[in-house]
Amino acid sequence: MPFISKDWRSPGEAWVKTGEGWEKKKVLENCKSITFCKRENSEEADEKENRVANVDSSSTQPHCHITIKCTKEIAGFNELDEAVKRLDFRSAARDVRRSNYVRALLSLLVGRNTTALSGCAQRALLATLEEVAGHAADTIHDPRSLRRLVDGLRSLRAAERGACWGGPLGSQILWHQHTAKIERILNTVAQMKINEPGPEIHPKLLQLPEECIREIILRLSDHRDLLSSAQACEQMAAIVGEQRVWRELTMFHFDQQQIDLVMPKDKENVDWKSVYHSLKK
Amino acid sequence: MPNIKLQSSDGETFEVDVEIAKCSVTIKTMLEDLGMDDEEEEVVPLPNVNSAILRKVIHWATYHKDDPPPPEDDENKEKRTDDISSWDADFLKVDQGTLFELILAANYLDIKGLLDVTCKTVANMIKGKAPEEIRKTFNIKNDFTASEEEQVRKENEWCEEK
Repeated sequence: MPFISKDWRSPGEAWVKTGEGWEKKKVLENCKSITFCKRENSEEADEKENRVANVDSSSTQPHCHITIKCTKEIAGFNELDEAVKRLDFRSAARDVRRSNYVRALLSLLVGRNTTALSGCAQRALLATLEEVAGHAADTIHDPRSLRRLVDGLRSLRAAERGACWGGPLGSQILWHQHTAKIERILNTVAQMKINEPGPEIHPKLLQLPEECIREIILRLSDHRDLLSSAQACEQMAAIVGEQRVWRELTMFHFDQQQIDLVMPKDKENVDWKSVYHSLKK
Repeated sequence: MPNIKLQSSDGETFEVDVEIAKCSVTIKTMLEDLGMDDEEEEVVPLPNVNSAILRKVIHWATYHKDDPPPPEDDENKEKRTDDISSWDADFLKVDQGTLFELILAANYLDIKGLLDVTCKTVANMIKGKAPEEIRKTFNIKNDFTASEEEQVRKENEWCEEK
């Protein structure tokens, strides 16, 4: 049983091997609790030290407590990289329930400001990002958020080049590793290709009855996805044009009070698409 | 425990626990309407589901047989698409054809939970993609004329303002 962590005295049940080394099983079990609820995505990069998870009513979420006032005793494991490692972000990238959270966090953290983080944290973030990119290349999941990450990555690369009199700041070796990793990630993303289903695959999406396609479209929570599907073909455009789709989208994103504010007087013919639009503004 | 026999479109018969079969509202109402006796050796034909898909559906239903019933209200249902359990995610790692056949079967048999999770999976495939990428993913032909396409694009310009 290797002791790698400074808090080896704390209670734990068993050590298990992970991609990153050895972890206590206790921590990983937390991560896999059944009702995982995503934490609020609203945290900003500067507020990252405050990442104390909201305690969910039904179960404790996996979280990593970060003490804001750092003391000498905990300095070794009070950093972002420790949180990334402990919460097992790398495997989370492949888990549909956690990947959106991981992507949201990454898109806040990766960019010009990444250079302000510690070297360890940078390395942990890039490793997670590589995992995300690899997974995205396999499954083509949500290319829009991936593109945002890649943009962040490019600006990070540019920022690093000019950080200090035209050269990277901090450890040269670390930055060589980072540059190599960034190149790899960009390559992976560039080679991403959508595999079209072959003609032997049956049935196709459009061969489903309309009510099934509607069920699918009703589950889209982002208006950009709705509009893209509307632009894909006439049948989808017809369904996306339905009032019900926009009404449910509005109901989902805004509460009754907000809706009442912009609701037109004439309650008979409400154009929910424009209601959504004005609320979004 | 009483069993029931389900027959797929290609003639294969599956014997399943009645309680499991009843997660399909279609089968449940059928049994109630017909007042079928538990003793009776009746075969329920399912002409819209083939054996490969029926086997998968039964597999799913067996795993989820103790789940709490889904909430009733259709209007304010969750739009989150990332709360798919890892078992379901693994279960749905199938080709597109199978996925859509599962949607058809879930729709026909009226199994809310299965319909929900399969539709979420497809919604996830749409998520974040441009129109051209959506077409490619599902092998959809662009049936807009150039002017129609321009019009649809114009109508939707407001979302790109920000």
